[in-house]
Amino acid sequence: MAMASVSSARESLQHALTNRFLPNLEYLLQGSILDSAVEHLMHRLKGLCDNVDTSPEPFHDLEVCMSLRQPNSNQPLLLRVRRAMDRDAPMQMRYLGQPEVDQRRPTLVRSCMDCACTNGILDFLTEMGFRLEFEYLAKGYMFRKGRMKITVSKLIKIVHGKQQDMANEPISQSYIVELSVVAPTGQENVGEEMRVFAEQLKPLVQLEKIDYKRLGPMP
Amino acid sequence: MGVTVLQPYPLPEGKSGAYIIDHLSKRLLSLGATHAGQFLVDCETFISTPQHGGAPSRAVHVLHNSEYPASTFSIIDNGTGKQVSLVADNIFDLLMLKMTATFASKKQTKIESRGARFEYGDFVIKLGSVTMMEHFKGILIEIEYKSCVILSYCWEMIREMLQGFLGMQVPKDYPNYFTTQTIMNAMGQQQLLHAKHNDLYEPMDTVKQYLEQFTNYRKHVNVHVGGAAGVSVQPIHMPPSSIVGVGVGMGRP
Repeated sequence: MAMASVSSARESLQHALTNRFLPNLEYLLQGSILDSAVEHLMHRLKGLCDNVDTSPEPFHDLEVCMSLRQPNSNQPLLLRVRRAMDRDAPMQMRYLGQPEVDQRRPTLVRSCMDCACTNGILDFLTEMGFRLEFEYLAKGYMFRKGRMKITVSKLIKIVHGKQQDMANEPISQSYIVELSVVAPTGQENVGEEMRVFAEQLKPLVQLEKIDYKRLGPMP
Repeated sequence: MGVTVLQPYPLPEGKSGAYIIDHLSKRLLSLGATHAGQFLVDCETFISTPQHGGAPSRAVHVLHNSEYPASTFSIIDNGTGKQVSLVADNIFDLLMLKMTATFASKKQTKIESRGARFEYGDFVIKLGSVTMMEHFKGILIEIEYKSCVILSYCWEMIREMLQGFLGMQVPKDYPNYFTTQTIMNAMGQQQLLHAKHNDLYEPMDTVKQYLEQFTNYRKHVNVHVGGAAGVSVQPIHMPPSSIVGVGVGMGRP
């Protein structure tokens, strides 16, 4: 039948999942570097990464984490919404699954779904019953190396009720460094690629898989 | 993208949906329109599971439009009349599945309109058969004028085109969706929404028109089946105007 030529959105999504071209796993390594040494790392990254002429790409994002209590489950559902403060871009919503810290894998692996949204997303989630869990600003630089993404950013605490920017204070005296790839299921070589890259940054920053469970429950 | 008007087509007694679609397609083709593929608009509604606090149940309507294949359109209705709409990437569908403990899909009300798509100069005309759970519910005619994004500037032209191939009178007034609507605000008071005929038209407006019509078709089940089904369909709230409004009241074909 000719009508069958239009497949529903659900069908195409299922197709992307079964054929493994929907990127839904995040491979992650994290580390930190003191403010005083960040310049050296930036130089190193500029040398190692792609986007030579445009790098480093600055970003300034507000991340708002919203939670929804789920019946029959102790774990609330968390969704992170990011809004670019320095440019006009769609808001990004991200779902992150429970991290899997497998000793045999070189990186932390967690399921990950990224979804660009219109500006009403926070209002939408609030109406759904989501509540604000925490929020912070991330300000820093982004580099690329192939399909790897490297961010060097400062996490900033938001102090409400005062003049913006003035009152917001950095959470620590260091920058967070993240190396990540979001790839479809079944691409095991990603981790190895990342490990090799992390090696090259070694004297400056130690990128590791952080076991969140050892850090205690979410604040 | 331009302005789109969605009209239900009243089924004459004794004629099948397929017959009418065939008849209208032939009329369009003989007017000079060309067949340009198929289209599909679907809608699934998720209802929040009852909470301890006795909060009103919320409905999340998730719609797709094959004209915008990378997007998922959703409209949440918080049960007191407030609606928030959202356009997101398709992956939003997978996120909804993460919330099945809180928002359950009402599978029996999954509804869609699909059919042929025609092009005629700057117009796109879609003849959709509406089905819910494989049951034929009616015919929806979508007409888009691609060269303009404000209804008041092009309504006359759309209207003339509609009259041309439907072979019947279409009232001069703007279709219901574009005129002032009353909604209930969070305090339970009636509130007037401003008329949309001078606004910039957005893809979300097309989706909202579909939701309005789909809601009407779902209510029809209600009337025929009644009883237990009637109670469960209740939480799908729509502004009162949508109950009355069946587009521009069209005459007999």
